[in-house]
Amino acid sequence: MDASEKGPTLVPLWGKRSLHRLPFIVLTDLFRSRHLLSLLVKRDLNARYRRAYLGYAWAVLEPLLLAVVYTFIFTILVGSSDPLYPVKIILGIIGWTMFARSLTTSTKSLSSSINLFQFARVPKTVFATSGTLTNAVLAVISLTCLIPFYFIHDLPITANLLMLPVWLLLLSFTGWGIGLLLAPIACKVPDVLNLINFLVRAGFFLSPVMWTYDMFNTRFGEGWHAIVAHMNPTVVPITGMRDAVLGESSAIPGYGYAMCFTIALLGYIFGAMVFERKAHRAVVNV
Amino acid sequence: MTVVMRLDDITLEYPVPRQYRKEDVQPSGVRNISLEVNQGEVLGIIGRNGSGKSTLLKMMAGVFPPDSGTIATRGSVSLLAGVGVGFHKELTGRENAYLYGALMGRTTEQIDELIEEIQSFAELDHHFDRPIRTYSSGMKSRLGISVATAFKPDLLLIDEVLGVGDASFRKKSEKRVKDMISESGTVVIVSHSLGMLKTICDRIIVLDSGSVLHEGDVELGLELYVNGQKDTDD
Repeated sequence: MDASEKGPTLVPLWGKRSLHRLPFIVLTDLFRSRHLLSLLVKRDLNARYRRAYLGYAWAVLEPLLLAVVYTFIFTILVGSSDPLYPVKIILGIIGWTMFARSLTTSTKSLSSSINLFQFARVPKTVFATSGTLTNAVLAVISLTCLIPFYFIHDLPITANLLMLPVWLLLLSFTGWGIGLLLAPIACKVPDVLNLINFLVRAGFFLSPVMWTYDMFNTRFGEGWHAIVAHMNPTVVPITGMRDAVLGESSAIPGYGYAMCFTIALLGYIFGAMVFERKAHRAVVNV
Repeated sequence: MTVVMRLDDITLEYPVPRQYRKEDVQPSGVRNISLEVNQGEVLGIIGRNGSGKSTLLKMMAGVFPPDSGTIATRGSVSLLAGVGVGFHKELTGRENAYLYGALMGRTTEQIDELIEEIQSFAELDHHFDRPIRTYSSGMKSRLGISVATAFKPDLLLIDEVLGVGDASFRKKSEKRVKDMISESGTVVIVSHSLGMLKTICDRIIVLDSGSVLHEGDVELGLELYVNGQKDTDD
């Protein structure tokens, strides 16, 4: 094909993009690369369980087996008598895993594919996002392990249930946004990856995975404890997931909702800005 | 003559390691390079190790952004280097070919048309449908070259060609690259093979410590490069 047919002008390889538009540009770039994005998600899903005999069943078995262990600890050793405790644990594990994996995969996205980024001009945001989407698919598969509990405990099917995907989406969005922010830094300072690994481990206990919002309220009540707890962006969404499935409504204060949405939004806005401005240069210096 | 790529005063410097910063060491990279690539020409780039050839090529491919200066291009640009990067070991050769094509911005339909050619050129037979973790390193390289050379861009950038596989495959890939050069028309090639540069290049650039030492006549450029090498040997 004659190159000149493609237009009379030369197009700059690195066009100027104003800072405040970057959060929108990231989304439009992702939409434009949706073909590649879906291929990468399929690749990740394929590769993850391809060699396992049980395949995708592991996505269901993992939270189920963990729930068995934690229920054992809490009912036998601690003496909790809540019959719905296993359901709460499963939802906690699925929600937390969604957030933690989103955060880790997007933070590692640049450093783990550095060879590729040093040889090919590929859209880096797609790589930072595919891990998050892969985990979203896995989380949806994992949710099927709740089906037996609907029969055992006669759980209500109400309009509340529609909030479940909203809270899950918020968890992955928050992890993804913070990951975008950290990815270029992790390229330069590998300690960030160690820090994230630590935070994910510690966060498991500091987030309502094994404990519930009610347990926290009964123990600490209102006051500065509660404000500090709501700074953890997973507290409200995980509680929201439980409320959606169990048809309950926890007494989450208004500022709790405001804080988790603000953290998610600010994380994404700053994440998109930092990623777009710093990621391309970050891979050069490694 | 149509210009397909214009580089305007581009600079990219790599950071100097902390322990050398006080010693006034000049950072490596490329500095203040301006040049144009015209449609239909074969432009050679030569220079000593560390003179900035690959950095320049990666900037032309849009892989590395310059610290300053602008690069503008017309049509598709593709860099033939780092063969096999981006492959996933759990996926089959065929799946990796599709993935690589998508990375290069091709649609599934476009790759469908090329997939048979990719398979036959790589000479992988039934291994093409096995995960590439089962491949030998030679097989991986053959797949890499077959895939990378299947997609024909408007401007082709080639970095240090292709010393992989056994003798017969090496010969075959050299022929493929020569075919690509004649088909693509516009090529920028980095190589240490003086003989090849002499036969295929219309113009040559000699790089030294990140700056252009010579631009233009091929014979003169190669002479400068060879003499420069001798000076350092002395």
